[in-house]
Amino acid sequence: MRVVIPSFGNKRYLSGFDWVMGVVDYILKRTTCAGNIFQLVFKLDSAVDPETVQSCLCRFIKEFPVLDGRVARDYNLAPYWQVPKKDKGNSLNFNSRRLENSSLHVNAWSLMEEWVNTPFKNENEHSAFHLLNTNGGESYFAMTFDHRLFDARGAESFAHLFQQYLTEDCNSNIGHVRVTASAELSQWADKFYAGKNVNRKIIALSKTSLRSLPVTTHCEAKKGFKFSLIGFDRQKTGEIYENAYEEAGYLMVMPYLLSVAIRAMHELFESRGLSADSYIIPVSVDMRSSQDIKQELFFNYASMFLFQIHVDMLNDKKALINEIKRQMYEQVQSSLPKNLLEASLLLRIAPLSLLRKIFLLPFGGKFASFYFSHIGKCSYQYPEIMGAKINNIFHMPRVPTPPGIGIFFNSFNGHLNAVISWLDGLVSDEEILALENSLRSGL
Amino acid sequence: MTVKDIENKLIKGIASITSKAESSIKADVPFHELGIDSLGFVEILVYVEKTFNLRLIDTDLSKKDFETIHSLASFIGKTL
Repeated sequence: MRVVIPSFGNKRYLSGFDWVMGVVDYILKRTTCAGNIFQLVFKLDSAVDPETVQSCLCRFIKEFPVLDGRVARDYNLAPYWQVPKKDKGNSLNFNSRRLENSSLHVNAWSLMEEWVNTPFKNENEHSAFHLLNTNGGESYFAMTFDHRLFDARGAESFAHLFQQYLTEDCNSNIGHVRVTASAELSQWADKFYAGKNVNRKIIALSKTSLRSLPVTTHCEAKKGFKFSLIGFDRQKTGEIYENAYEEAGYLMVMPYLLSVAIRAMHELFESRGLSADSYIIPVSVDMRSSQDIKQELFFNYASMFLFQIHVDMLNDKKALINEIKRQMYEQVQSSLPKNLLEASLLLRIAPLSLLRKIFLLPFGGKFASFYFSHIGKCSYQYPEIMGAKINNIFHMPRVPTPPGIGIFFNSFNGHLNAVISWLDGLVSDEEILALENSLRSGL
Repeated sequence: MTVKDIENKLIKGIASITSKAESSIKADVPFHELGIDSLGFVEILVYVEKTFNLRLIDTDLSKKDFETIHSLASFIGKTL
């Protein structure tokens, strides 16, 4: 019998994947300069008045006390997000800057890297907002979020809701956002069955040696992440999608982009002389439908595919694409993403420090070769924000470490972006340049 | 089984995959306009295998044959 204990009052029960995001946060805080943070950046074609932004954000943020919550454990041992009362939250963390000199791009990029590498002030702060107006007329608006509270599409939807709130005075829309979830403390047989399937998959993956870059996981390595953005214009994006349809098949954009990313990363690993047998690439996948995203924008609704690619397959692009499609199909067929969600509910009983050790067991502390994601459709649907036209939207995620490096694709208004994110010092500037070139030429 | 029968079965499966009402899914609308991405499309292909015992992931998945529910139903009809 299914017994549902729903969230109530100031409690929002955490899913297994929310708990996994908490483990990643724990690991990142201990091995790098900040936690599991990512940043959504709007590149705008005109300046925005900082005072207007601040007052708009202040009003909007006050509607969501969940933003100031913290993790706690219930009497039934299920972890939950403790939501403060509406008037008891933190003050808005907003800062604005103006760049005067001519090397705008370099300086703006350094600032954006600084923002996403800045830890939140305390355990109750999970968001920060930054505005950068430049002398050239452009501006950047960055929303920096705790990944425990938002996944990437949820953050885009939150930004969309913000603009909707400003333009349509839609207090009623805010009421549709769901901040409840079941404690999921029933149907244990299903969870253990899913856990058994996930275990089998992980054991199978760990049978071959895994290529990964050497990451220092000691506490003294309090490093930040660096980022590189490769933007494609509308015409090139159209060509990339046509290439994907031609080479991988209709709608097979993700397998196509992943094949290009694997081949580009392979060149990097080869240049390092690393000699293990295979690559393991976790690929995040959104489990919400396009309808759900309007209501379920807080917390995490993602799961993962786990791709294993043998090195000897990388010389033949067509064979590589077919292998990715085959593995994707088999993982959907065997419900791996759903099993991961179900099985991860069992992990919630364990403290984060213990889970950190468990996560590193199967692959000798390596876990993955690199991370990958592709968000096909942007959930932010307006052409402007706060009165300024949007030229681009891209993501800057700090990557779970290990592996400490990832390639993340997103698109906005017909433009595809690829962002490379890596732990400072893990790869050299020359290697990143070579990786960028490989991605560009491969697409 | 007629192409129309296949279309109806596909619409039922796609409604379940996309959490949409069956009545809102039209057979001649391209899948990408239904908000279906790589994952959704693979879920549809898995549904096709379960329902029609046809494994389509190994085919070329050409846009012409797979773009709409109607074209996919015609392709399945020819293959069955």
